[in-house]
Amino acid sequence: MSSDSFTPRHAWLPRWMTSEHPLPWLLPAGALMVVFGIFPLYKAIETSLYKRNAATRKMIFDPTHNWSKVFLDERVWNALLNTLFYTGVALLFQLVLGMLIALLLDSDRKGYGILRAMMTLPLVIPPAVTAMMFLLMLNGSFGVLSRGIIELGLLPPGFSILGNASTAMAGVLLAEIWQWTPFMVLIMLAGLRSLPKEPFEAAAIDGASAFQVFFKLTLPMMSKVIAIAVLIRGIDLLRAFDYVKVMTDSGPGTATETLTSYAGRIYFGNADFPYASTIALLTLVLVIMVSTLFMRIFKVKL
Amino acid sequence: MELSRPWQILRDVVAVLVTGLFMFPILWWALTSIKPISAIFDKDRVVFFDFVPTWINYGVTMLGMSRSQLAIDQGIGMGVGGAEAYDSRRSIIDSMVVSVGSTAVTTVIAVLAAYALSRMAFRGRATFLNWVLGQRFMPPIAILIPLVTIYKTAGLRDTDNLYMGYLGLMLIYALINLPIAVLLMKSFFDDVPKDVDEAAMIDGATRIQTFRKVVLPMVKGGVAATAVLCFIFSWTEFLLSLFLTTDIRTVPVKIQTFVTSTGNEWGFIAALGTAAVIPSFIFILLVQRHLVRGLTLGSLKE
Repeated sequence: MSSDSFTPRHAWLPRWMTSEHPLPWLLPAGALMVVFGIFPLYKAIETSLYKRNAATRKMIFDPTHNWSKVFLDERVWNALLNTLFYTGVALLFQLVLGMLIALLLDSDRKGYGILRAMMTLPLVIPPAVTAMMFLLMLNGSFGVLSRGIIELGLLPPGFSILGNASTAMAGVLLAEIWQWTPFMVLIMLAGLRSLPKEPFEAAAIDGASAFQVFFKLTLPMMSKVIAIAVLIRGIDLLRAFDYVKVMTDSGPGTATETLTSYAGRIYFGNADFPYASTIALLTLVLVIMVSTLFMRIFKVKL
Repeated sequence: MELSRPWQILRDVVAVLVTGLFMFPILWWALTSIKPISAIFDKDRVVFFDFVPTWINYGVTMLGMSRSQLAIDQGIGMGVGGAEAYDSRRSIIDSMVVSVGSTAVTTVIAVLAAYALSRMAFRGRATFLNWVLGQRFMPPIAILIPLVTIYKTAGLRDTDNLYMGYLGLMLIYALINLPIAVLLMKSFFDDVPKDVDEAAMIDGATRIQTFRKVVLPMVKGGVAATAVLCFIFSWTEFLLSLFLTTDIRTVPVKIQTFVTSTGNEWGFIAALGTAAVIPSFIFILLVQRHLVRGLTLGSLKE
């Protein structure tokens, strides 16, 4: 009988336990997500519904306590503004610099391949190490970058960029922008290389200027690539933690405090787990809201 | 675009300068690691190359040499301190164990899940993918707070049992890397035509046989790229390692301990920092071809 050869090998097993069913394939990933992602998330939400008494260390169920406190807390608003400022400025610089450098390095000439490869190196340095690199270079008394800026007469001698509330954010952003501009360069390069040749040849015959070609052809044709790059970078920027933690520890005062660094400060400072959880969850809501909105408006998805 | 000769030369020069600008912090870092202490902390001028190179920083951090003995031998006026605090060999082992372990776990789990997500039609497929992607939106601090308690209950704390501590960190890194690994592997599987599977199954192969003998060999390069990216992201992770473990100190965390109240040990920081980026540099150059696809979670192909 020919139908025998189609009988699954483990006919004695129920189908959902065999490789014909998706369950066994998805089970390990699903289990990891549930145990280490979804369950802690559920716990975080639960914790945020309790009020912690600092004196007795007792937790009292009070669902509105933290969630109303969070909207009245001026430091939360400050942290939110800092987070949005940090994200916006970093994205702007990374996008513009990334595009310019990609245009510059998009050449088949000898040597450009090496330059492109070198450009990827900053991406893989641990952000905590990058933060230390810039901490050293921005040191007020012997940092090479600080000294350079002071020598140019832009800042008074001995000025500490990271120690000053008005310039600390710029210092942290410098590390962030240095490390992640190559991310944009790489993606823009891939986008540039995937463009069809014909429209550009036609434009050249019509005598279009380089600016016209860039704004009328390159940019519109790259819009999807740019949107995806901005989305991925934006998600990470809204959750940024490492640079702020290492370089300024949210200071001076609260000048560089972001939502995640504020949550960390509460957690490890006053051990108010419920309130720290609330702020961390607020960050998650912000990330989901902003990215969903972005995906709707620009019609991209990951 | 064809450029006239002078413009082409100008472009080459600018390209080299811009790349050089991005390489500068890395070079400065490496240079700092071989500088004697007097050259690092010179307050009167910035020392570029006019110093006598020293290997003391590597000796102390990488070989566990006694700091005070070396100081006496080389006649360098350095403070006397315990060598143990700066001996980073254990941290490098910690980082290696956790990164390699989590890479293995993530890759296996993600390859299995990605195959089903690419090949099988089932209810909840889109939902599952959304949950995987959702992990990427999560600020690590949100799950960190409950995880500390969960790990305590589950015996996954490194202070209770070192090996369980390694396992705990590996598993949470696996979760962090899951979105990128699953989505990236799915994009590689999607590149293989479904006819390949169907042909194998018509010949009587089961799903698992089709997967192992036919499809998996066709995405070998993709598996390697996924593993490399997982390794790099585990190697560079900071926040979870900082707060979840005490005895286990991965390299990015260890470096922070050289920041002391009496001053930062920049020589040691730079030496360990330089050594820490070498594995990542080697790996990233190996996967240049799939880098864009990896960094965009499989959305963009090069």
